[in-house]
Amino acid sequence: MPKTSSVHGSAIDPVDVTFLPVSDKLMIARFIERGLTGLIILAIGAIPLLLRQSGVWGGYPAWLAWGVPALILVIVLWVLVLVPRQVRAIGYAERNEDLLIRHGIMFHRVMVVPYGRMQYVDVTMGPLERLLGLSSIHLHTASPGTNAIIFGLPAAEAGRLREQLSARGEAKLAGL
Amino acid sequence: MSGPQPLPGNLPGSLPGKGDDGTTGHFHTDGDQTWHRVHPVSPLVRSWVAIAAVLFIFGRNTLDTLFTRGPNGPALSNAPAALILAVVASVVLVFGLAFFLSWRFTRYQVTDHHVHINSGVIFRQQRRARIDRVQAIDVVQPLLARVFGLAELKFDVADGGKSAFKLSFLKLEEAKRLRAAILARAAGVAVDPNAPSDVAEAPETPILALSPARIIGSVMFGSLTVTTVVTLAAVTALAIWSGEIGVFFACIPVLLGLVAAYWKAITGDFNFRVALSPDGVRLHYGMLETRAQTIPPGRVQAVGISQGPLWRPFGWYRVHVNVAGYGHDNSDHGSRTVLLPAGTIDEVMAVLALVFPDPGVENPFEVFAAGLRGPANKHGFVHSPRSAIWIDPLAWRYNAYRATATALLCRHGIIFRRLQVVPHERTQSISLRQGPLMAMLGLVDFELHSTVGPIRPVVHHMALDTGRRLFDEQATRAATARRLQRNEHWLTQAAAAPEPAAGELAPIDQQPILKEEHRGD
Repeated sequence: MPKTSSVHGSAIDPVDVTFLPVSDKLMIARFIERGLTGLIILAIGAIPLLLRQSGVWGGYPAWLAWGVPALILVIVLWVLVLVPRQVRAIGYAERNEDLLIRHGIMFHRVMVVPYGRMQYVDVTMGPLERLLGLSSIHLHTASPGTNAIIFGLPAAEAGRLREQLSARGEAKLAGL
Repeated sequence: MSGPQPLPGNLPGSLPGKGDDGTTGHFHTDGDQTWHRVHPVSPLVRSWVAIAAVLFIFGRNTLDTLFTRGPNGPALSNAPAALILAVVASVVLVFGLAFFLSWRFTRYQVTDHHVHINSGVIFRQQRRARIDRVQAIDVVQPLLARVFGLAELKFDVADGGKSAFKLSFLKLEEAKRLRAAILARAAGVAVDPNAPSDVAEAPETPILALSPARIIGSVMFGSLTVTTVVTLAAVTALAIWSGEIGVFFACIPVLLGLVAAYWKAITGDFNFRVALSPDGVRLHYGMLETRAQTIPPGRVQAVGISQGPLWRPFGWYRVHVNVAGYGHDNSDHGSRTVLLPAGTIDEVMAVLALVFPDPGVENPFEVFAAGLRGPANKHGFVHSPRSAIWIDPLAWRYNAYRATATALLCRHGIIFRRLQVVPHERTQSISLRQGPLMAMLGLVDFELHSTVGPIRPVVHHMALDTGRRLFDEQATRAATARRLQRNEHWLTQAAAAPEPAAGELAPIDQQPILKEEHRGD
């Protein structure tokens, strides 16, 4: 699993930390998810065009009828093009005291969640994720600001991480 | 109304063997079978608005019929006497029964480790609070409750439940004694046979009191007045533009609302006093409804000090706190998070000294004053680099941070000034953020995550390497502080109750967790 080199780096990453990447299958999941969402939006946006082409209702300027679906298509394609980069930008690293999580390229975020602060750990698996053998892990602290989710972990790795986090959390548990 | 249980006016039944003397001054915990009831008038006090409404409607109708009967002839002339009586009787009966049942079904119990509250007639509710997780306790006395000498005990617990635990209503002394008992246990001081008076109401040392003039002044020069002025200006403009004087009358409800807001703001904070007791910081405030709020030591997660432009000439600051448990409770419009509604810088420092006894610097006054006033890099503050001028043209020299040995200070703003203080051991998690614009300018935002509350600590627009260094250092500082905190608590507890902790010095790896449980957070 640990193909450390494939995690996308950025200026605000802490030095001398090697991030573990998440599974590449997350790309497939996101392609399907975002592709389907895009298709639905595209279908809705294309209704006036269909009405116009089929001659049912033509009271709609041609440029708008073509322009809206075209714009939606461009945005959807752009979102899909970004998926591999985004997935490769997700990384996590277990350190002695805390877990590091990084997200994003343009809007980049690095987060440290100390083991001793974790209240509980959620492991979730949606239907698509189940199909691909992936899990998401969500770390909760007493703060709502801690929005620490790692998507697209292989199920076995998620299980290992959960056990690891629970064990370390228990060992280092601190009060609020 | 008679129940088999002792009325709450009496002392709670005591377990034999707990505590060594049976004097009535201190508190015994309850056994599994001992339950107490709240005061019998409680439902009446709780729902007096409903009763008043019913009385008002009913009374008005009765008067109406009485008055209209004369001229209109015998419209309802024969029936009323009996009918009215029957209606009154049934209303009294229904209310009485409802009150009796609700009183009868509300029971509570304070054991060594938990507070149990059972309530509800049809939908039963059984709640259990772990005492060592209690974050803060209020004793609230609404106006009518004060008339009866009653008080509501309200406490927040860190684990789970979204809403505060409430016991309404108890006799005032009973509420105070319960508070003392719960706080003593939350502090990890088990019932100590050598000093039973510890559990009695802890004495308070007054720290400061705000004069009525200060409260009124702070409200008059607050955001409410800005709203009022803007509203009045808008109404006047509208009246002139439309030429209709009726606009003013149409706006009477709005103006009444503003007056009510003033009234609420002034009476709410009236007579604000801060005191220190061994249980923690105690705040007293309120004109009609009085409230005594206790924040045990170490429960404050973050402090925010703020000052708007209107307060600057007076040198007043408002102090807010994050306390776990307060955030979930919106019923009091956030007034519970106010540690000081309007204080001078000296008063702010006095209050800060209560919640953070150790500021971690040698010259705390200068450092905190620099944090409140700015600008520039004085007293160890580090502000945004010059490139931040594109994002914060005015405030870039004011947005700054300073890490002391015990806390991180985040300074913000030039017009609305804010200083956020987070003790290192209260840091939940931290993150760095950067958007495309900030990446271009070589800036980064540093966020600290605290519990739910009005303070969301953040350091805006730091230089890239400064931000990264802060990120790394803060992670280390927080980790160190967490370790130190455990040891310290363990020591303080050993000092407070030497017998149980004496032989347990060695296994430092496991012991702290256990102690942490006792000590709470």
